[in-house]
Amino acid sequence: MTDHEQYTPGPPSGAQIRKDGEKWTLILVRELRHSPEKVWQALTDPAHLREWAPFEADGSLGTIGTAVKLTTVGAPSPHVTETRVRRADAPKALEYNWGDHDMRWELEDLGGGTRLTLWTNIGRRFIAMGAAGWHICFDVLDHLLSGIPIGRIVGPEAMKFGWKRLNAEYAKQFGMETLGWPSQKGRTN
Amino acid sequence: MKIKLTSVYVDDQNKALRFYTEVLGFTKKTDFSQGPFRWLTVVSPEEPDGAELQLALNNNPVAKTYQQAIFQQGQPAAMFSTDDVKGDYQRAKARGAEFTMPPTDVTGSTIAMLKDTCGNLIQLTQLARYSR
Repeated sequence: MTDHEQYTPGPPSGAQIRKDGEKWTLILVRELRHSPEKVWQALTDPAHLREWAPFEADGSLGTIGTAVKLTTVGAPSPHVTETRVRRADAPKALEYNWGDHDMRWELEDLGGGTRLTLWTNIGRRFIAMGAAGWHICFDVLDHLLSGIPIGRIVGPEAMKFGWKRLNAEYAKQFGMETLGWPSQKGRTN
Repeated sequence: MKIKLTSVYVDDQNKALRFYTEVLGFTKKTDFSQGPFRWLTVVSPEEPDGAELQLALNNNPVAKTYQQAIFQQGQPAAMFSTDDVKGDYQRAKARGAEFTMPPTDVTGSTIAMLKDTCGNLIQLTQLARYSR
């Protein structure tokens, strides 16, 4: 998988943060050269999600009211949460939660392309980490939609592909201290 | 193979971090998130490279049931070792800890039990040192 090995994320782009009281929201915008219908499928179909998203879904996220189990990929101990799809207006708006993160997706038709926006709440401490992780996921999504899938890059994989640099750059953009990767001193394997 | 990590379920990771650092005096070792998953561990400052305690969010029904059941039985979710259980009892009490058992002599040790504010009982154990 040469394209996977050669992937390097670009500089930070399309991310903002918002604070309402104690609640922090990460807002990510990505313009894609693909129709909203195609993007919608990638956001809701488990087989497509498996190619780019940071979680596995055991069912489609495309129908309101459906209960879906989401498994965080590569978490250091098994992590499964159940969600119920709150809104599914294909191919425009999708809402569900991933654990205690609200996920609100909006797909705006740009005439042949789509402006994809994600609003998600993340604690202040982890907001740059989240921006870096989703940045890489969106790059992989773009490749998938273009018909040249490079394979999901999440969890430990993301560490190999510029996540640390992006984390530091987003932290700088957001005016926050960089939380370095934890010390692994004393770890022998 | 080594024992380097153990975990307790907690109902609130921020509250747990406060209790385990400010009341018990441990230090934060690792804290990162992956999506909604947060990996959070503390370690004893006396053994910074010693065993870590993971404060795991209790967000599934099976874990909740288990946590509540052992709490109701009076079973500690974790036990920590000390050389001065009476001193630790006084210090933790001064920082607001609620003990369910003051330092009490039992076979081979002196123990005390306190609530961790996150759904658990924690036992402090001082092993008895018998002179020959």
